[in-house]
Amino acid sequence: MKRIGFLINPVAGMGGAVGLKGTDSKQEEATLRGAVPQAKNRAEITLKALENNQDLTFLTPSGEMGEDSLKKTTPGRIQVISYPGVDSTARDTKIAAQRFLEEGVDLILFCGGDGTARDIFDIVGRNVPILGIPAGVKMYSGVFAINPTIAAEIMTKFENLSLRDSEVMDVDEEAYRAGELKTHLYGIARVPSLAGKTQVSKQVYEDSDEGRVKKEIARFINEIMITDVLYILGAGTTTESIAREIGLNKTLLGVDAIKNRKMVAMDLDEKSLWTLLRDGQEAKIFLSPIGAQGFILGRGNQQISPRIVKRVGIRNIIVVATPHKLRETPLLYVDSGDSVLDKDFGDSVQVISGYRMAQRKKIFQSL
Amino acid sequence: MQTKILLDEEQMPKKWYNIQSDLPSPLDPPLHPKTHKPIGPEDLSAIFPMELIRQEVTTDRHIDIPEDVREVLRLWRPSPLYRAHRLEKFLKTPAKIYYKWEGVSPPGSHKPNTAVPQAYFNMKAGVERIATETGAGQWGSALAFATMLYDLECTIYMVRSSYTQKPYRKSMMHVWGAECIPSPSTKTNSGRAMLEKDPDTPGSLGMAISEAVEDAASHSNTNYALGSVLNHVCLHQTIIGLECREQLASVDEYPDVVIGCVGGGSNFAGISFPFAGDKLTGKHKDVDILGVEPASCPTLTKGLYTYDLADEAGYTPLLKMFTLGHDFVPPSIHAGGLRYHGDSPIVSRLVHDNVMRAVSYHQNEVFDAGQIFARTEGIIIAPETSHAVKGAIDEALKCKKTGEKKTILFNCSGHGHFDMTAYDAYYAGSLVDYEYPDELIKEAIARIPKIS
Repeated sequence: MKRIGFLINPVAGMGGAVGLKGTDSKQEEATLRGAVPQAKNRAEITLKALENNQDLTFLTPSGEMGEDSLKKTTPGRIQVISYPGVDSTARDTKIAAQRFLEEGVDLILFCGGDGTARDIFDIVGRNVPILGIPAGVKMYSGVFAINPTIAAEIMTKFENLSLRDSEVMDVDEEAYRAGELKTHLYGIARVPSLAGKTQVSKQVYEDSDEGRVKKEIARFINEIMITDVLYILGAGTTTESIAREIGLNKTLLGVDAIKNRKMVAMDLDEKSLWTLLRDGQEAKIFLSPIGAQGFILGRGNQQISPRIVKRVGIRNIIVVATPHKLRETPLLYVDSGDSVLDKDFGDSVQVISGYRMAQRKKIFQSL
Repeated sequence: MQTKILLDEEQMPKKWYNIQSDLPSPLDPPLHPKTHKPIGPEDLSAIFPMELIRQEVTTDRHIDIPEDVREVLRLWRPSPLYRAHRLEKFLKTPAKIYYKWEGVSPPGSHKPNTAVPQAYFNMKAGVERIATETGAGQWGSALAFATMLYDLECTIYMVRSSYTQKPYRKSMMHVWGAECIPSPSTKTNSGRAMLEKDPDTPGSLGMAISEAVEDAASHSNTNYALGSVLNHVCLHQTIIGLECREQLASVDEYPDVVIGCVGGGSNFAGISFPFAGDKLTGKHKDVDILGVEPASCPTLTKGLYTYDLADEAGYTPLLKMFTLGHDFVPPSIHAGGLRYHGDSPIVSRLVHDNVMRAVSYHQNEVFDAGQIFARTEGIIIAPETSHAVKGAIDEALKCKKTGEKKTILFNCSGHGHFDMTAYDAYYAGSLVDYEYPDELIKEAIARIPKIS
């Protein structure tokens, strides 16, 4: 019997249809504009598909944050753990997440958007795996199933699932409404994954053990590191594993710099990066695709600005990613903030995906 | 409009062509893996019969094909040469494309051209059992077929990724009475060591070779047979090119471009060595000879020309060849037969000396070519063979641009009837375009301080 923490952010997605680009602090306005709650319907598609799955028992907040929908689909297997007010808020999400953590649930299944993911992640971190049923306006985080049906499928195969790392993205909604996409890598959650077990049939011996592949990538990068070259490491667990391979600690979410196998600077901003590159310092940048869409640049690593990229040179940008991640991101994206520079990346890129192994991946280029 | 160019059985070559006789200088000798001294025949006699050792090193221009061997080869040889009218029309190329169809052999590829003589010479030497490796299963099934003909036992170590990808290749080997084991296995010391290092390894030809060599070396009644790379294997395959030259001559043609896919190099050697010989001896100086390899395992295009081991564990001699390193485990592409870290020393030498050249392609574009071939010429070919087709198509398209009416010949080395899961994956869009990050590797190597 698996114990699942379940919650719905009832207002998630309301802002999207009425042009509010997100519902953070805009719920009233969304309602005024005639927005209809979407999350409940989306969540119930998943729950309906789990109706006959007797292996799962659900812990949930009362009312519209979970209990109501569960009563319709899986009655008799519900345990209410918190009691949110009439109009639920981020605080209610966090309280529920705290209760899930105390109860020691096996997984948290939630229905919402990036904001909901962020609120839950704030409380549970990497201690509990999370899986999102997509219902938000913005879903840049990689913690969501492709759709509610796939979310159900992942839940039914729970026993055989492997966990992977996935980014929780933080989009600045105020800036977003003003037409600017400012994303930060907020954290890296643990997410159950289907791909390693089902999409890749057993005949393809690709390693589904993410940790091991990351080590293989890191072993290769360690081998090809050259003296006196500055290595700039972008965010994420793959680049973190490179630092670990040479015995260094890296910030998980920040941009760090290594030279001669020593840490030069950590959690760099754009200006300090620029300073490190003066006097013709030769450099290479290691980046891993970030977020659900697979951005190499422009999501969560805006420190690596167009002038930094130009200074280092596109040919010295080395993209690293596990085969698993690459399978889930059919296209890679570049959004450096300079569309001419973005074009210079061309229509494909080599991605290091193992020890002395790479894949050629297409980059999305608008016409 | 003639489509098939056929030879009578009597026109089948009576001698193999040995290109070693026409090399401007001898090949660099194989070295002992421990002493690094050139090896002698006695070093090989534990696992090879003396006649094959002789063929490995001789510089005689022609080697007789025993009549008993020709008798077996008659089951499918001489193989047909096709003019690819429909492919030419589809490509709208002025080039003439010919392909030698080796898929007519009972196991469905060029491999029995050497499996049969190897089994024969082992039988003659009183050997009772042969151990070998196989990548995609073409060699394994060919040797299973050949050993059956001469009442020899046969044990085949099949690269694990292929073993699961192509279960029916294994079934074929069983039908012909051979034993087929996924490699690395727990049957040998080297296999156990590799499994301990990496229990999930997809295996590689290098690993499987180690197991088969160990098996042969540790059983007195057992010899080893290799399906590619070695000189005598390439020698046996020259029957392909010799027939082609006759067939083309019968329609007053000589190729401008000769193309084959390259894993260990034997089918490429087979179709190209007679023409490379013409080039070396000045008869046809301009013939362009092109080997096509996967971008994921680009030995000839991205490897180093140096001495390296032919296997993973270090049982084999060091061969001077293009190599990506004997510890390189190529990704699990569907053209399993091309997943080899090294290459035939003769092919390597000829590429190094610019007698031949090489190109590499990604997996998806190779399957595009395979699909074009199936939809024009009708034959569903193996992913390995599709590399050669891709090379031929690109040469033909170059002619379309320049207006040249070149004669292009390629070796259509085998059918793809056991590769349908690979075609399925291609249609599902799940084929990964692996490649070898050679620039990063070379840059790092270049900056290693030289030890003087």
